[in-house]
Amino acid sequence: EYEEKTGRAHRPLSPKQNVRKNLDFEPLSTTALILEDRPANLPAKPAEEAQKHRQQYEEMVVQAKKRELKEAQKRKKQLEERCKLEDSIGNAVLTWNNEILPNWETMCCSRKVRELWWQGIPPSVRGKVWSLAIGNELNITHELYDICLARAKEKWRSLSTGGAEVEGEDAGFSAADREASLELIKLDISRTFPNLCIFQQGGPYHDTLHSILGAYTCYRPDVGYVQGMSFIAAVLILNLDTADAFIAFSNLLNKPCQMAFFRVDHGLMLTYFAAFEVFFEENLPKLFAHFKKNNLTPDIYLIDWIFTLYSKSLPLDLACRVWDVFCRDGEEFLFRTALGMLKLFEDILTKMDFIHIAQFLTKLPEDLPSEEFFASIAAIQMQSRNKKWAQVKRMLIFDNR
Amino acid sequence: AQKAMPGTSLEGIRPTYIYKVVLLGSTSVGKSSLAYRYVKNDFKESLPTVGCSFFTQTLNLEVATLKFEIWDTAGQEKYHSVCHLYYRGAHAALLVYDIANKETLNRAKLWLRDLEKEFLPDEIVIALVGNKVDLAAEREVTTEEGEEFARTKGLLFMETSAKSNHQVNDIFMAVAQELLQREQGKTSAPSPRGRSTVDLRESRARTGCC
Repeated sequence: EYEEKTGRAHRPLSPKQNVRKNLDFEPLSTTALILEDRPANLPAKPAEEAQKHRQQYEEMVVQAKKRELKEAQKRKKQLEERCKLEDSIGNAVLTWNNEILPNWETMCCSRKVRELWWQGIPPSVRGKVWSLAIGNELNITHELYDICLARAKEKWRSLSTGGAEVEGEDAGFSAADREASLELIKLDISRTFPNLCIFQQGGPYHDTLHSILGAYTCYRPDVGYVQGMSFIAAVLILNLDTADAFIAFSNLLNKPCQMAFFRVDHGLMLTYFAAFEVFFEENLPKLFAHFKKNNLTPDIYLIDWIFTLYSKSLPLDLACRVWDVFCRDGEEFLFRTALGMLKLFEDILTKMDFIHIAQFLTKLPEDLPSEEFFASIAAIQMQSRNKKWAQVKRMLIFDNR
Repeated sequence: AQKAMPGTSLEGIRPTYIYKVVLLGSTSVGKSSLAYRYVKNDFKESLPTVGCSFFTQTLNLEVATLKFEIWDTAGQEKYHSVCHLYYRGAHAALLVYDIANKETLNRAKLWLRDLEKEFLPDEIVIALVGNKVDLAAEREVTTEEGEEFARTKGLLFMETSAKSNHQVNDIFMAVAQELLQREQGKTSAPSPRGRSTVDLRESRARTGCC
């Protein structure tokens, strides 16, 4: 037996070794394919068969090599694309930081900046850009935030110790109301982006979210806490420091569209829906007719989208890109986004009945293709018979009076 | 109810009825969870509903096929004026409260008042649902209290738990049976009042459904 073994070792190169030598590129997937001679207790392969096997083996190796080269090329291409993307983000960060942000007032409206803006703001400068774009018309300072927060904390304390009456400025809003609102905030915080696991009890941003929402109810007791707000505050917290997030939050909610919705001013909300329908009919007449036929009114899907600025219904990265352009273009972009969504799914939606459209639009597919989505938003014209969004809205408000 | 076109029913002689069922009640009493449990037979923490979300469920009963279109509304009181839109044309309503929170039963009573303004008693099936019986230790509303209120108002009543899957199917089934009974009563002996109900419903029913 020993002789057998050594004898084998002395034979001229085994086919396997032979093949290996000829290959500069070793395919991973074929290393397990070993072309061995038959075991010693069996008769040897006839030369013809051995030749055939060798040939088959070599063909397989060639195929595998081809395939793997292709894969490697694909990987290389992907890597290159990722590098390119990272480079472009890196370049964008530089442009935003060095050119745009220091000269905000003069540059923010230039065509070049607007175009760069549409591509999406790099996450590292996003918060700064949002803050600047939202502005601070209300002149809220960090000190004011501290004061509002202190007041909120005072209330939480008095509620938890059972002191029912909190005397003071915001009489007219019953203690029960306030209590309900504070309770509700607590409830909703843990229901805000639960899959991120950062706003829940014990999570790193739980207290921050609690503070901002609490401070807001003290800052604007007339508006109070409305469900949907927790999502907006959460998105801001992810991009800004606490006090700056509060400033952006309060100013954002102070915009006419957000005020109309968060005060649940039904008449004004209907005006927004009516304006939306003007552009809906203009851009997507067929789908518009289909929705009309099925009695599918815009409130069915727009309420959630507008209240949460898409942060509850879109994947977070896409929602942030919508926010980017919303900060650039204002409220009309929220409605343009809605139309882009309808356009993207026009073919599917036209084949559905009321309940399925409602279901589809209130629970969007999770794998929304971002580039196609933004392309279809871009294809929406916010112009109806030479009238822009603001003009159409103004006319409708006027008509209602 | 909205009767589906005869040609579209695969069941042949069995009729298909489409019913709009609306879930109403305070925030976080478990409206979405009840709908989710009923339709998907699962429980997960729901996000707060903003506006309305929708579910469908088909029930194949011996005498008919029932299609439920479930409208799951936002609970926060501030959304009240918006939710008002959502129960228009409903065939059934589930008034949900949390047995561990007395205040939510009061809210359910307010919803009932709203519904009574909008509908005639035989136009809508209303069920009072005390959810979260899994929180027995924190109970603030006794079963008797809910039962008694439902009895005086002529509502269906059940205590449920979406979390531990207690009587969720049952309450929807009870609603289904009640709807069917009314449907059959309508066709066999149309009272003058019954006829006017039919007219009202038909004027509200959606047309052009496929």
